Amino acid sequence: MNTSHQHTDAHTPIEGRDEAIEFEILETAVRELSIAKGLFSAEDHRRFMEWYDNIGPTGGARVVARAWVDPQFKQRLLADGVAACKELGIDWMAPTGHGTPSDFTWLVACENTPKLHNVIVCTLCSCYPRPLLGHSPAWYERPNYRRRVVRWPRQVLAEFGLIIPPDVEIRVHDSNQKTRYIVLPMRPSDTEGWSEEKLATIVTRDTMIGVAVPRIDWTTTSTPSGQARAE
Amino acid sequence: MSKFEIGDRVTVRNLPALFHTRTQGYTRGHTGVVVGLRPKWVIPEDEAWGRYEGRREPFYMVRFNQRELWPDYGGAVIDTLETEFSERWLESAAAENTAGKTP
Repeated sequence: MNTSHQHTDAHTPIEGRDEAIEFEILETAVRELSIAKGLFSAEDHRRFMEWYDNIGPTGGARVVARAWVDPQFKQRLLADGVAACKELGIDWMAPTGHGTPSDFTWLVACENTPKLHNVIVCTLCSCYPRPLLGHSPAWYERPNYRRRVVRWPRQVLAEFGLIIPPDVEIRVHDSNQKTRYIVLPMRPSDTEGWSEEKLATIVTRDTMIGVAVPRIDWTTTSTPSGQARAE
Repeated sequence: MSKFEIGDRVTVRNLPALFHTRTQGYTRGHTGVVVGLRPKWVIPEDEAWGRYEGRREPFYMVRFNQRELWPDYGGAVIDTLETEFSERWLESAAAENTAGKTP
């Protein structure tokens, strides 16, 4: 997480790049040409980016919670992830007709079991189930995570605070082509009687990447400071 | 018609990587098991150049044991990794064995 600017001396100048990199120049050129040609307007572009930046992991949490309460939905999700998402109003093709800027052809839900723990990565770039989880976290895109989790998955998960027992298989899913993955975590045993909506609150982003598992004391609205005060 | 079936042991070929391939270096020369079949898609070697009507091949999900990928893998022997390949990148593990492994 790049928060260093907030914690350094307020008088320290923020170091920025003066020059745009090639891809930024290319993006600007294509965007401005498209607007000039009337393919879309500047406001259309702004609206798309606003929508896209706001997707977040809520859709993924709804899919997981539904799978926890509805075994038949879970079977459909495991069989055809894209179709199952559509049942919950999450259309991988929307809004462009070919999806968000994350090309895909297939979605696989990787079900965790008492004997199997799944974790996802893209060693080539940062392929990610964006319609379900929104933008990927910064660490997911960094070479540090990408090159190490395929090589030393147990150590990397331990760095996230997740210790997987040696009798549980760790299966790394490297999204190198057009299949996208989401981890279907195990439902915590102490959630009997919970509603689907309440269950969705403990399905946080990292549990669907596979670097964490759901816990009833950690919800999507928990704050670290709140937890510290409670202790 | 797919060349490989689920359960087949396949070895990732070490083809030239002059341009875009999406086949990771760490998988090349290693043997795994086909665990999933995918329809024919345009291969990345063509798609990367905008040739969306380019060559189409079946893709395969292949599961490797981590100890096969990394001889000094320090985790559990049961640990695995799955990733995908177009047909051109795979050969039957048996055929690979008779041909002998190139150093």
